[in-house]
Amino acid sequence: MASKLIFVLALAALAIMVVLPLGWLFYTSLQIPDAAQLSFANYVEAFTKSIYLGPIGNSLIVATCVATIAVAVGTPLAWLLARTDVPGRGALRALIVAAFVTPSFLGAQAWMLLAAPNSGWLNKIWVALTHAEHGPLNIYSLAGAIFVMALYNIPYTFTFVYGALELMPAEMENAASILGARSLRRTLSITLPLALPAIIAGFIMSFLEALAEFGTPAFLLIPARQQVVTTQLYLFFQFPQRIELAAAYAMPLILVTALLLFLQRRLIGRRRFTMIGTKGERRRLTPLGRWRWAALGAALIPSLVAVFLPYTALLLTSLSRAWGLGPVPGNLTFYWYRWALVDNATTQSAIVHSFTYGFAAATIALAIAVTIAFAVTRKLVPAGELLTFICMAPFVVPGIILAIGFYSAYSHKPLLLYGTAWILIIAFATRFLPIAYSNMTSALQTLSVDLENAARTLGAGRVRSLFTVTVPLLRSAMLSGWLLVFIPALRELSCAIFLFTPRTAVMTTVIFDFSDAGNFEAVATMGILIMAITLAIVGVSYRLLGRSLVEAQPA
Amino acid sequence: MPQASRGRFLTIAGGAVAGLAIPGIVDGAPQAPSESEVAKLYAGAKKEGLVSWSVAHYPQETAEKVRDAFKAKYPGVDVEFVRQTAQVIYQRLSQDLKANVHQLDVFCSTDEAHYVELKKLNALAQFVPVDRNMIPTQFRILDPDGYYQLGTLALVLVNYNPSKLQPAKRWQQLSDPRFKGQITFGHPAFSGYVGNWVVAMNDKYGWDYFRSIAPNQPKINRSIYDTVTDIIGGERTIGAGPDSLSLEKKAAGNRIDVYYPDDDTILVTAPIAVMREAPHPNAARLFENFFYSREYSQVLAKTYNFPLRADVPSANGASLDKIRWTRVKVDRLLTGIPEVVAKWRETFGV
Repeated sequence: MASKLIFVLALAALAIMVVLPLGWLFYTSLQIPDAAQLSFANYVEAFTKSIYLGPIGNSLIVATCVATIAVAVGTPLAWLLARTDVPGRGALRALIVAAFVTPSFLGAQAWMLLAAPNSGWLNKIWVALTHAEHGPLNIYSLAGAIFVMALYNIPYTFTFVYGALELMPAEMENAASILGARSLRRTLSITLPLALPAIIAGFIMSFLEALAEFGTPAFLLIPARQQVVTTQLYLFFQFPQRIELAAAYAMPLILVTALLLFLQRRLIGRRRFTMIGTKGERRRLTPLGRWRWAALGAALIPSLVAVFLPYTALLLTSLSRAWGLGPVPGNLTFYWYRWALVDNATTQSAIVHSFTYGFAAATIALAIAVTIAFAVTRKLVPAGELLTFICMAPFVVPGIILAIGFYSAYSHKPLLLYGTAWILIIAFATRFLPIAYSNMTSALQTLSVDLENAARTLGAGRVRSLFTVTVPLLRSAMLSGWLLVFIPALRELSCAIFLFTPRTAVMTTVIFDFSDAGNFEAVATMGILIMAITLAIVGVSYRLLGRSLVEAQPA
Repeated sequence: MPQASRGRFLTIAGGAVAGLAIPGIVDGAPQAPSESEVAKLYAGAKKEGLVSWSVAHYPQETAEKVRDAFKAKYPGVDVEFVRQTAQVIYQRLSQDLKANVHQLDVFCSTDEAHYVELKKLNALAQFVPVDRNMIPTQFRILDPDGYYQLGTLALVLVNYNPSKLQPAKRWQQLSDPRFKGQITFGHPAFSGYVGNWVVAMNDKYGWDYFRSIAPNQPKINRSIYDTVTDIIGGERTIGAGPDSLSLEKKAAGNRIDVYYPDDDTILVTAPIAVMREAPHPNAARLFENFFYSREYSQVLAKTYNFPLRADVPSANGASLDKIRWTRVKVDRLLTGIPEVVAKWRETFGV
């Protein structure tokens, strides 16, 4: 009885979180303001006007380039760290984690300080050194936006490929070497094909992230006078509001995402290699010999541009009274930290909101993920496939579009959530439910059912055995699943920017509000605070889990 | 209307606000509250504890100074505010109103047309502040029905880096090739000030004016204050910017100055209004009333804005009598801003 009740509750939650908003999104796309009839007029308008088509082209260019760069850099990086004796592998991995948890809009703000055509610090240094008329970098361009987004997408490919290389049994490669294959041939004919599904997964992940990204284009592409789909969607929300048009315009983004994920399944499905595993021979790391230090230098470059330079720029700016004066003694101050933490009520409550909403969202997502994953993996319910599909569906919906769905569904009775903290909490929980769900499913699949069966035989009910046997065994997987929702919720912008109200502002929306009118110091300070908190949490979790979060994420 | 309705305030008859008691309204004609009524507003505001304010009038730091001056005058009433460009705060407000969510008390946009729309939606409260007669006659009554009042007087004019170039003396000169790669603007779809300026230029010179500037590749930002950042940061050297922030930065030693163009500085009358369903109705009215106090005008003067009151001198002796200015009327803004935003998109791509 109790198990049925819990399951029904989880189902109701799924309906509220996924089914209703997506249903409303579709319904809204057919609505015409002030007209009773539904029609496809919004679709016609959205996909025939050239000013709306241009951004779609830009988005596809940006996403393709970002994904290509991310794979081209992430794959060799993963190989270096997993398979060679390059020095400092632990530190390099930690740096990649730091890039992984950095929201790319913060990177964009940092790179505005570093590479604005005339005022960027790197360009100024270049001009000072070469006496050239102009610096070589221009962050306010499509290329600039691609560069910044690629930097923060490298960790996806890295993580997936690194994971694949670690799991790959050593026997095949060893067999190849015994048969006389040299290192290059071995890599190309054995290792790379085995890693291909992970590489494709990395490409698709980065492609989708770049397609859905709102913050970086808003920061870099408006000055570059370019629009992408997400900035166009933002404009539809401006007066006169065209939410119906926005909903129609969003549909292809969902379709493209769904199509790509489907293709990925097909591709990987066909290429699934059954590796008859043994407990594994030891793998020899490829010795790099005299190339060791050169390899270290190369491996450091992504971290240099994604972590060192941006954080230095943000830190210096946050400690400056006025960033334009540069880091000179009289300009150094803790003013902005005092301002953010003590003097400014808005930033204080935003910090509290980010935490409480993230905490609640992670808890809700995890509770639902455990319940449904348990029911599905243990085949306690019919239609397990359908439930899995619903849990994973938010993955194909970019944040900004999910926000439109949530606004359409919950800004009126019977469920008026807009204006309350709940709409943000539920939106965050929904956005990152797929991460929690896939984490829990894979953890449950590896967990033998024998112990649960033993408990049942001894007379424990379904719920009791879940809570006394399964949950304790899943502790570490649950903690990592919880964190994998909590951390992205903390840095979520594209959903929050449409769903917050003055009373529910979070850190990212406050950062966005400070991002115009040249409040670089305020943005940098809030950015440093959000990252200090995030990295502290990652550090603690590493202690608790005994491994890195990034490695815990399933490919 | 918890506290306010209990008092002896007269009730307006008729209209959608019937049954609500609002201080300062007598027989349907808006009138300022008496000093004792202000004291009542303060008592009510203290119980409410807070006023929630959206503001596009000035930069973050000026808004903080306004907040601090208000809190100094009225201890016990906190000010929670968001500073963003006019179109962004308006978009958020309309999104809230559409969902019937009422969290905002006071709305300070720089696009006067917003208030006409909000009035049509019956979203504003009638309120006339004390000391309205202290401000220049010509701006004393923006709305005869008293739904919104003047909150700030601001200028859009030429901003430039005096160590790098001579300013354009006329707006028309911005198409001069010597300004190629030098110009920076805000965006009319974000900034109300920029919207006012673009409509004024369009109506004066036609859209060809902007087409002729396009080859100079202006950098487009969101806020009008981004123009100031771009100039003092060295990213660009000239643009259409504000008087206030630029003069404040100039006084602090930055390389920026303003030029009052010969073909007219644009004057913007940025309004203030109390929301009809403000969650803190007393604090909201007390806050709007504060805008006509000496303290508020002193903050404006200190930050190089025009003081609203005649008895507070401006920081640099600037006076509207000495400047050649023009102002876009609200009826024109209503149709003009959406029109130029669309044209802007065609010409500049964003």
